[in-house]
Amino acid sequence: MTGGVPGQVCLMQGNEAIVRGAVEAGIHFAASYPGSPSSQVLGMLGKIARERGFYAEWSTNEVCALQACTGASLAGGRALCVVKQNGLLCVADALHCAAQAGVKGGLVIVSSDDPSAHSSTNEFDSRWQAVSAGIPLLEPTTMQETKDMIPYAFELSEKVGQVVLVRVTTRVCHGRGNVVLGPLPEKLRPLERVKEWDRMVCVCYMHAPALEKLEESRKCFEDCSYNRYQGPETPEKLIIAGGTGGLYGQEALRRLGKDRETGFLTLGTLWPLPEAYIGKYLRFAKEVLILEEVDPFLEQAVQALAGREGLQVKFLGRGNALPAVGELDPDVVTGAIAQLTGAVAPEKKATSELELPVREMSFCAGCPHRATFYLLKRAIRQEKYPGVVVGDIGCYFMAGQSAGQYAWQTCNCMGSGVNVAEGLGQLTNYGLDQKVVTMCGDSTFFHTILPGLVNATYHNANMLLIVLDNSATAMTGFQPHPGTGLTAMGDHVKPMDIPKILDAVGCNVEVADPFDVVEAEKTLRRLLDEPGMNVLIMRQPCATLMAKERSKKPVRVYVDQDVCLGDGCGCDKYCSRVWGCPGNTWDFKKNKALIDPVTCVGCGVCAKLCPSGAIKVDRGEEA
Amino acid sequence: MLSTIALDTQVLRQGLCTGCGACQGLCPYWGSVDGRTVCFFDCERSDGRCQRFCPRMPTDLGALQKRFFAEETILPEIGPFRGLYLTRAADPDIRARAQHGGSMTALVELALKEGFLDAAVLTRSQGGLDPEGVLATTPEEVRACSGSSFQVPPTLAALNRALKEDQFHSIGVVGTPCKTLAVYKMKANPLPENDNHAGNIGMVFGLFCGWGLDWDGLRDLTKRHADPAKISHMDIPPSKYHSLDLREEGKTVSVNLDEVTPLVRSGCRYCVDMTAEFADLSIGGARSASGWDVDKGWNQIIVRSEKGEALLELARKQGVLEFKDAMEGGLEKLRKASFGKKRTAVQNLRELTEGGLGYLSPNRELLENL
Repeated sequence: MTGGVPGQVCLMQGNEAIVRGAVEAGIHFAASYPGSPSSQVLGMLGKIARERGFYAEWSTNEVCALQACTGASLAGGRALCVVKQNGLLCVADALHCAAQAGVKGGLVIVSSDDPSAHSSTNEFDSRWQAVSAGIPLLEPTTMQETKDMIPYAFELSEKVGQVVLVRVTTRVCHGRGNVVLGPLPEKLRPLERVKEWDRMVCVCYMHAPALEKLEESRKCFEDCSYNRYQGPETPEKLIIAGGTGGLYGQEALRRLGKDRETGFLTLGTLWPLPEAYIGKYLRFAKEVLILEEVDPFLEQAVQALAGREGLQVKFLGRGNALPAVGELDPDVVTGAIAQLTGAVAPEKKATSELELPVREMSFCAGCPHRATFYLLKRAIRQEKYPGVVVGDIGCYFMAGQSAGQYAWQTCNCMGSGVNVAEGLGQLTNYGLDQKVVTMCGDSTFFHTILPGLVNATYHNANMLLIVLDNSATAMTGFQPHPGTGLTAMGDHVKPMDIPKILDAVGCNVEVADPFDVVEAEKTLRRLLDEPGMNVLIMRQPCATLMAKERSKKPVRVYVDQDVCLGDGCGCDKYCSRVWGCPGNTWDFKKNKALIDPVTCVGCGVCAKLCPSGAIKVDRGEEA
Repeated sequence: MLSTIALDTQVLRQGLCTGCGACQGLCPYWGSVDGRTVCFFDCERSDGRCQRFCPRMPTDLGALQKRFFAEETILPEIGPFRGLYLTRAADPDIRARAQHGGSMTALVELALKEGFLDAAVLTRSQGGLDPEGVLATTPEEVRACSGSSFQVPPTLAALNRALKEDQFHSIGVVGTPCKTLAVYKMKANPLPENDNHAGNIGMVFGLFCGWGLDWDGLRDLTKRHADPAKISHMDIPPSKYHSLDLREEGKTVSVNLDEVTPLVRSGCRYCVDMTAEFADLSIGGARSASGWDVDKGWNQIIVRSEKGEALLELARKQGVLEFKDAMEGGLEKLRKASFGKKRTAVQNLRELTEGGLGYLSPNRELLENL
């Protein structure tokens, strides 16, 4: 990320290209909260921050990250904020305020969208936020563009005095491609002392200047190398592509042999639209196909442009030629271009025709969440009127599926669980005769649970919050959070003590070990009976962290198949079917349970649950 | 249908569950909390012991009775009948703890001593609140179970666990009619692949039963009238008193029955068995035509099997039980009362199932005159 010589070609992942671009831009400041698909960016920045003389942090949440970046900008620093789509929505207020106030040092937000929601709960489209806040929007197509666009975005940000949004998608973040390195700044630009009469302030009279900045950006975009056109000078059929749509379109046009006769316009600057540049080709077009990820953002903008210009154009895009939801792929794009050009779509698919078995996402082998949700289901079903469970965002989102015994009835966004539960908990005083439970991870606890915790405790809601304390931001790859005592730059700091915080807030707190199934269930049931705001900390380290520990002292868990009842009455595959750990498998020859020694991490919980006592734990010398 | 879903949809959601515990102690799927039967997780087997044992899953009661009892002894109102006796325990210590005459305690102790049984599954009433099923192996442990509870614990879960362990080979069971029916369903070995050592079931002792009460409801009611920790006994005297009597440190606290009847378990409304027809011996409080006080402290016993007859004869010989001449018209009165419970239950079932007979449907002919 910090090596190489200018002009050298390197194979890079998109996230690495963002990092390299930021270093070439000479950033002073970087802040982020982890979120797929761009989680790796800040981790890498943290590792090289000292060497390059900038500051990098895993912020407690995205609002902290963006607002810290505006602080850095006020001192003339170049600041990079990295979020995922949900994170961008999380910072909407901060973003809109920053956009009216404008910036001093360049402020660039990289927002990563996850079309088809591979590692998200939804596939929101970040681009609307650029329109709403009134800021310039860029979207790269290749790894080279991804790298180059970051310094370009900083230059633009400083030129027009505005926040710039760079939207990337999963395939860009996780794809790989050749990148020609640019020069690294020898020294960072010095920071500027904030002067007495410096102002960066969000007030209504800044609205008009903000709009002027947008017009200035548009002028830059009219003649920008990130917008390219190939094809006839007066195209009747025109494709306009943004982001990955550009590469899919290029490939499909060649496959169909229609690349010479079809106009192909790739846009890297999506907002404000370079209207004159687009108009050069749009005015000849009778039919236009728009290729873009998630929402018909460009489609609507170009339709509006065509309407304003009085053009008679038929539009193809999301919802007619392309599916209204989900990620683009070479096949759907080929189909859409075949529809546009009248070409015959090839029978053979571009993607593999090998069908993968359908599998639900699940907790890892030995994951403490599996035990917690197993116990929660048991406890909830023991209530006279089975309780209501509110989910939250983290690995434990999967608890809504079989992995967590279909634990919850509702789940909103990150940090919402405690608030949704507070609402229900208040209604238990108004005739709702159910116990109310919600949960959060330790990272989410700091991210957005705290205000809700204060609210629910202050208003004495009757509810139980389970804090799934696994000492990790596990879902996104173990980034440090305030409970871990580590920072992105590798410093050891004083960790925040969750029980102390809870005590100070004033709720009733207990701690249990989910692997001690009997005691933990008792504690859980006792807390369900307590009125007011209760918190149960389920403490057991993440299995992925523990796997390393246990490999030093291996524990062997195995099935005594002579004792195992298999699928007989009295068991019905309790270990593999109900408990459902990936380590508990099935011996199809003998119709008995089996433990996969490669997957098993030796937590031994299944041995406690086996109704026949057929699962044995061999702790080696310890036994 | 999946086992757990079958019981859930056909028994629990219909309000038919008796809480007997026959589905429990067999697997990790079923349990009980405060008398409520709880399904922890769904089982995906299409068949299983839980639904085969459940006394509220459809059963041909006539066929089951003929399989275990001499056909010529079966009376339509009260089942197999070899004689009706008025008895009480000779031991005053048993009588002092007993619900009525202590005959059950005396007989089960005798059965253990004389090798009729090597263990017995009983309900420890604990004064009437929070009762639990226990496995007793000594006369002392049996005696600790004297007295009744109107809360219904899942006693048969203890039987299932004891059978599974296969440590005792002649286990006696004392239970209300729903429980003894379930025990005979177990004895019929309904699941070929796994009989749960049903051959280890020894004698079955039935308790006469009108109904049981909602667990939480009775706890709350007791709290309203007394200190639950100090209650040593609960009883319902004959109907003219219209009360539930709580014994609190020797004193009797009478609670108007109108407070109690709303707490009757839903499942009891559909029960056709007052005298525990599936048993070797069935025992209840004596209800004399000449008044409560005349036979207070006595039991009536229906002998239903040869084994039952032999045990009662032994009790007479050893002087474990005292006998009193059966009251005149006692059998007729019992038959009438039992018939009344059957008729009410069938009416209630017809309402519940829109004219059907629900779990009793295999007995259509038998029940047509009700």
